[in-house]
Amino acid sequence: MKKILIVEDEQHQRELYVMELQEEGYEVDQAANGKEAVDKVKVNKYDCVVLDIRMPEMDGIEALGKILSRDKKVPIIIYTAYSNYKSNFMTWTADAYITKSSNLKELKDKIKELVSARS
Amino acid sequence: MKDKLLQFFAITLFIIVIAVTTSITISMYFINARSWVFYLSIVCTMLLIVLFVYIRIIHKILFIDKIEKLHAIAENFKKGEFHLKVGQIPGDDPFAKIYTELLSASRNLENIIKSQKIEIEKLRELYTNMMFSMNAYIVVLDIHNTILFTNDLFLKKFQYTPQEVSGKNITELFYFLTGTVLQAIEEIKKTHESIVLEKAHLISNNRITVIADIKLSYMISNNEPQIIMVMDDVTSKTKRDYQISLITRLSEKIQKDDVLDHVLRTILTAVTSGTGLGFNRAMLFLKDEKNNVLYGRMAVGPDTLEEAFAIWSSLSPQKDKEILSRGVNGDDVHGQLLKEKVTSTSFDLSEETIFTEAFKTGETIHVYDAYHDPRVNDEIRSFIDVNEFVIVPLIALNKTIGIVIADNKFNQMPITQDSVDLLTVFAYQAALSIESYNSLDLLKKEMEKIKQRQEAIVESEKLAAIGRIASHIAHEIRNPLVTVGGYSRRILQNITQNPPDVQKIKKAAQIIMTETERLEKILANVMDFTRPSPFLLKFNNINDIIRDTASLLSNLFQERRVELSLQLYEVPLIKSDFNQMKQVMLNLLQNALDATPPYGVVEVKTYADDRYVYIDVSDTGTGIDEENINIIFEPFYTTKTTGVGLGLAIVKKIVADHNGEIKVTNRERGAVFTISIPLP
Repeated sequence: MKKILIVEDEQHQRELYVMELQEEGYEVDQAANGKEAVDKVKVNKYDCVVLDIRMPEMDGIEALGKILSRDKKVPIIIYTAYSNYKSNFMTWTADAYITKSSNLKELKDKIKELVSARS
Repeated sequence: MKDKLLQFFAITLFIIVIAVTTSITISMYFINARSWVFYLSIVCTMLLIVLFVYIRIIHKILFIDKIEKLHAIAENFKKGEFHLKVGQIPGDDPFAKIYTELLSASRNLENIIKSQKIEIEKLRELYTNMMFSMNAYIVVLDIHNTILFTNDLFLKKFQYTPQEVSGKNITELFYFLTGTVLQAIEEIKKTHESIVLEKAHLISNNRITVIADIKLSYMISNNEPQIIMVMDDVTSKTKRDYQISLITRLSEKIQKDDVLDHVLRTILTAVTSGTGLGFNRAMLFLKDEKNNVLYGRMAVGPDTLEEAFAIWSSLSPQKDKEILSRGVNGDDVHGQLLKEKVTSTSFDLSEETIFTEAFKTGETIHVYDAYHDPRVNDEIRSFIDVNEFVIVPLIALNKTIGIVIADNKFNQMPITQDSVDLLTVFAYQAALSIESYNSLDLLKKEMEKIKQRQEAIVESEKLAAIGRIASHIAHEIRNPLVTVGGYSRRILQNITQNPPDVQKIKKAAQIIMTETERLEKILANVMDFTRPSPFLLKFNNINDIIRDTASLLSNLFQERRVELSLQLYEVPLIKSDFNQMKQVMLNLLQNALDATPPYGVVEVKTYADDRYVYIDVSDTGTGIDEENINIIFEPFYTTKTTGVGLGLAIVKKIVADHNGEIKVTNRERGAVFTISIPLP
């Protein structure tokens, strides 16, 4: 079973993603900020990381670098309400940049694409 | 004669007496020798008597002579003549002695008088010299203001002959006499105390203008009261002072007044105002670059002698100042003809005339006799219609831009070098004003361009701000919207299931509700900022507001292990809205707390001076990035992962509503926000 890490500070959103992705048949792990995410990546092996940008303690951009320095190959999707971070070159190291939407179809499709490409 | 007869008679008598006596004695001797002795004794007695008489007579004759001499001396003395012809009375009788004494006395007296005369002469000379050399006009009046005496200087200055002056009333000598002079004369007749009048303005019948400090004194001479007026001529000094102040005022005016016409008119008026330079008329010609001509720009001066009199009689130093201070607005009724004449005249610069010469050489030309001066052509002669005039070029920054022509057409006074020099100074000022006006015009146009550019920049900045605001709102709203939308979808999916998971639906609906409330809060916050509630201004102690807010946040501070230190000094009450100010403190303290790591300190300090109450909120956080220091008060600026970015914008708005200001500075560790609210 493919393992996915959801990094999102907003609890309700996080829970929504977890439920939705579980229903898609993924094993879903969750982190409330960048720091937690980096800690989890240290111990676990994920097939995909979904990363919010604006978070307390450690934001998504910092976490992105740190995760990649642990595991260069893990696919990372930046999933944010901000469309303007797309122009920040720090986000270019991510595999995908998706603006948040209530319809999770785009996110799900991208996860599917990245996960299947890995295997 | 009488004396001589007397003398002759006496001598004859004496001889007769001797003869008779002798003959009687001789005949007696022959007649009776016995009686010879008897007769002899009679004759001797008679002889003695005659001798006695003779001596008396002789004496008398001799004394008369001497008495006459003494008498003559007395007569001379009476006349005050002590210079006597040296003569002597022979002998050493008392007459001779007295005579000698008188002679020596007369010599003494003569010496005394001589030396006194020398003294008097010296004094006379001194006084005369004083009268002449004293640079003052002296007039002595009797009680009816009739002139008893004037010194030569007075006559010379005002061009009167002694005959024209004597016996005249003082008012008859002057065309214009400052009213205070006559008042002072009347005053001194009553009080007998000296009066000094400063800068009295006098114009003689010959139009000779003098400004004088007049000292009036009262004296009694031969039992007649007299008034002495000593006039100290301060015309040139006053002129100088006036001209200096004129220049100062003028340059002030030039700096203030941007209407070129006003400035030029002020300059020309200054040149022609009576106590200014004394020119009667002044005309300004400027170069027209396009047509290469000198065209008449402006002129100031009377058209007729009557107008000239009217102007001069109304002149006073005060009036001149008024002219300058209120500015000349072109409503001058005098000199319309001159103005029209000048402004409709132009001189071709390609022609060789005295005007173009002054313009081209940049040198002042003083024409003394226009009717005979070969440099003056007929056109100019008929245009200027005056014998003596002066042309001064207007030079600004080494470039001649025009000429000023000035003359004394009406009072025909000679133009002094002094006046020419000052006209040059004024011409320089005029030239500068014209040039600076032209530059100013250019500058104004440039400024307009810059202003437009600035406005464009401001506009684009506004757009950028709107962009930032939109982006922040988008983010703030998107998160709850994603949640709401996501859970709505879940509810829909759940309903289609059989049986639907009511628990899940319930939970999703709960989340939707919470997120909707969050959206409402965000909106309310935005609304608060854009439409603040009306203020309730009361006198509040800012320290109370701070304590109130601090107690509200004390748990939060404890939780985050940040110390909240209050240093509140007694400050005056300020007119404020308690709740709004509480909001300010709440936002600032919240920000400070968020910026401060655990074990840091947030400090609030209040103090006041005579104008403001100050509140400092400082933290020990990382401070504010210098690049952001100007935009932190902008709406939707935030460094926080949570929050709308309205906190500081709201703070600024409320402070501004209290007529106050908020500033932020970085200190060694952290930032300091300083609010200043003016005292009521």
